[in-house]
Amino acid sequence: MSKLKYIGKKLMQLILTLYAIITFNFILFRIMPGDPIRLLARSGAISAESIARIKELFGLDQPMWMQYFIYLKNIVTGQFGISMTYRQPVSSIIAERMANTVTLLAVATVMIIIIGIGTGIVAAMRRGSRLDKTFVVASMVGWSLPTFWTGLLMIVVFGVFLKIFPISGILTPGMQYATYSQVIMDYAKHLVMPTIALIIVDMAQFFLITRSTLVDVLTEDYMLTAKGKGLSPKKALWRHAMPNAMLPIITTLALYVSLVIGGAIQVETVFSFPGMGKLMYDAVLKRDYPILEASFFLMAAVTVTANFISDIFYTIIDPRVKDI
Amino acid sequence: MLKYKKALGLLLALLVTAALFAGCGAPGNVTVGGEGGHILKVGWCTEPDTLNPITSYSTESLQLTSLIYETLLGYDANMNTTYQLAESYEYSNDNKTVTYHLVHDAKWHDGEPFTSADVVDTYMRIKVDKLSEAVQFAEHLESVTAPDEYTVVMEFSEPQAFNMAFVVPILPKHIWGEMSAEEIEAFPNNEPIGTGPYKFVEWKQGTVASVARNEDYHGTQPGPDGVTWVLYGNEEVATQALKAGEVDVLTEVSATLFDSLKDAENIVAVNLPSYSFHYVGINCYQDPVSQGNKLLLDKTVRQALAHCMNKAQMVEICLSGYGQVGTSILPSAFDEWKHQFTDEELIGYDIEKAKSMLEAAGYVDSDGDGIREKNGEKLDFRIFTVETTASDVRAAQLLRDSAELAGIKLTLTTMDENTMGGVVYDTESADFDLFVWAWDSDYPDPGYLLGMPLTEQIGNNNEVYYSNPAYDQLYSKQSTQVDAAERKATINEMEKMLYDDCAANILWYQDKLQAYRTDRFTGWQECDGGIIYCPTYVNYKEIQPVE
Repeated sequence: MSKLKYIGKKLMQLILTLYAIITFNFILFRIMPGDPIRLLARSGAISAESIARIKELFGLDQPMWMQYFIYLKNIVTGQFGISMTYRQPVSSIIAERMANTVTLLAVATVMIIIIGIGTGIVAAMRRGSRLDKTFVVASMVGWSLPTFWTGLLMIVVFGVFLKIFPISGILTPGMQYATYSQVIMDYAKHLVMPTIALIIVDMAQFFLITRSTLVDVLTEDYMLTAKGKGLSPKKALWRHAMPNAMLPIITTLALYVSLVIGGAIQVETVFSFPGMGKLMYDAVLKRDYPILEASFFLMAAVTVTANFISDIFYTIIDPRVKDI
Repeated sequence: MLKYKKALGLLLALLVTAALFAGCGAPGNVTVGGEGGHILKVGWCTEPDTLNPITSYSTESLQLTSLIYETLLGYDANMNTTYQLAESYEYSNDNKTVTYHLVHDAKWHDGEPFTSADVVDTYMRIKVDKLSEAVQFAEHLESVTAPDEYTVVMEFSEPQAFNMAFVVPILPKHIWGEMSAEEIEAFPNNEPIGTGPYKFVEWKQGTVASVARNEDYHGTQPGPDGVTWVLYGNEEVATQALKAGEVDVLTEVSATLFDSLKDAENIVAVNLPSYSFHYVGINCYQDPVSQGNKLLLDKTVRQALAHCMNKAQMVEICLSGYGQVGTSILPSAFDEWKHQFTDEELIGYDIEKAKSMLEAAGYVDSDGDGIREKNGEKLDFRIFTVETTASDVRAAQLLRDSAELAGIKLTLTTMDENTMGGVVYDTESADFDLFVWAWDSDYPDPGYLLGMPLTEQIGNNNEVYYSNPAYDQLYSKQSTQVDAAERKATINEMEKMLYDDCAANILWYQDKLQAYRTDRFTGWQECDGGIIYCPTYVNYKEIQPVE
């Protein structure tokens, strides 16, 4: 099978998967018990006229198949309608949250990859050493601690006692900035604690996968050959060991990237960070269909695309892949 | 060593790059330049829904819009009448006509003058288009006219016990006048223009909302230069923020955290009477479609269940003691209206009484399984609670355990609030038996809560499907009683009636737990309903910066 054919096949799979997810999302939200209008009525006196107008506004007075076609049309045209809660265009609400989430998670992901893979290599090279053991234990502890607890502890220590970092949000409320560089510095300061929390929690995934695959690879015969050829351990690592260890790491990476859009609900909640995770959580509670539909669609699209890209990467790293 | 420094440098560079990227995208319209001031910072964990004051249903939105928009009349800290856009008003002899004389020097935040046309337009919107929560007070509103630019006359078909001028925010006709009801329903009102003491600055969903002092305000200038509400992910973090001085006041503190704030430096933690109650609702739907257990239509069964509610214990366990045992549907902040129940009237915690009542009514445990039955029908009910409301779940567990002693089986199911709403509000099936839920009033008038169990509210606020023509009649009566003492007598009769029927069993009135810092602002006043979140909004306006 040629490379092009392989990519074509994967692309077809991508489109079919997306369509299936889109349809599933539509059904899922509508079979969830409860509806967005009912609870509106609960918090106060609402007239029957208002309820009818709200239903019409969100197309809830239409038959189900019609709602489904409107929904498909919205996705194709990129118009997600207006939020039931905020009565604002979904696209503008999501764009802002997305910018925050992508910033936080992109920074965190890059750092997690660098630190996770880096420590993984060091640990594998010195397997059994005290350093290795320390890394393993530390990453396992970080992974096992409840995110919420880790975050709160950081808030109390660095935010309340030491007062080094702000504990919430993305900008200091009420702050007046003289220049844009001050805005950026303030923003960066707010990113520090959530980023570190994410690193503590998620680093283990990359550390452990790198370490274990590399330990396997390092004991292969060809590594002995490489050593026998007189390659330095460093050269042997980069030329022979790493390329062979990359596949599982890329898989982990592809799975992790979908989080960059979906946000990290726990970290976002504890640091009051206005990202996608928090937005979706609230939208589920309020049954805000337009927000749910748009954000689940984006999340699915990114996950599927990340998998598609990693499939292509496989073919580059391991030419055998396209034959499977 | 050098390598590590390089790596660290790389990481920092990454962070800065990300921040740069963010700087272009996320923060959007940040204010650059200008000078800071005495901004009151409020920490909360729920944000507004929309800033459109006539389509919003959240208490949080009301905080902002009540500072931006004004009503004709307002309240001071002791709930006495104050004037906002009206400078005086008088009733006709039959109490059916109210004439308001408006202030002359008020201006909208965009510079347009405020006149009687704005008032007429706002009230007509509510009456004709049935928009806004205030529609409940407009039932008897016949006409609103403006004899001149600064006079408004409202005519009602019946005298009004509650004057809606206290709660209707006046909107500028030059912005809202041309919109249809459908357009208003979809209108987010992103830049609200009012006449109030504060002007809208910004609302960034998910983070902060701010208003700034209106220098052209026609009344007394507020103390703070502005107010900023900061959104926190949860109460623990918000409490840390108060301790760290990031915010000056918290809208909500949980009982467990409340104690930790009592000894904190520069912080005052207060528990105040609230406008809310938690209750056990019992399905009384008489329609054949009801999927609720029919045995609950028997008042004896409901009263027996009420005897199983150890409310004092619930206040201790579920609220750590920060609340009062519930009786009538009117919470503790309504104490001037509330009926004081005598020992005879009270349906107290008494398992033996519950047993003997059921015994006398023919409910006996004949098969020895611990559950009483009558004609083969067992006293076996479902009880629903909202899973995230810990106090309600705990209360349901306590009730389940004590009901078992009396021979009533309760099976507890927890669910999310929207699911419960879907079940309870479904008039086609009403597929529930009992639930524990909460209710609160944004209005300082008892009429709103008393209106909940009306027959006409079935499918709406009447969650227990209570239907009692005598109660409905008394409700209509009290809503036209202008004399407070007469109205109180009617209200007390309604309270007793509802209490005795045990459809809505009020468990407790939770104290409003809030906390504020004293090192940045002084002059805080404690009101019913809270330091903030009270119907008076005085603390937003009257506190002064510490020099």
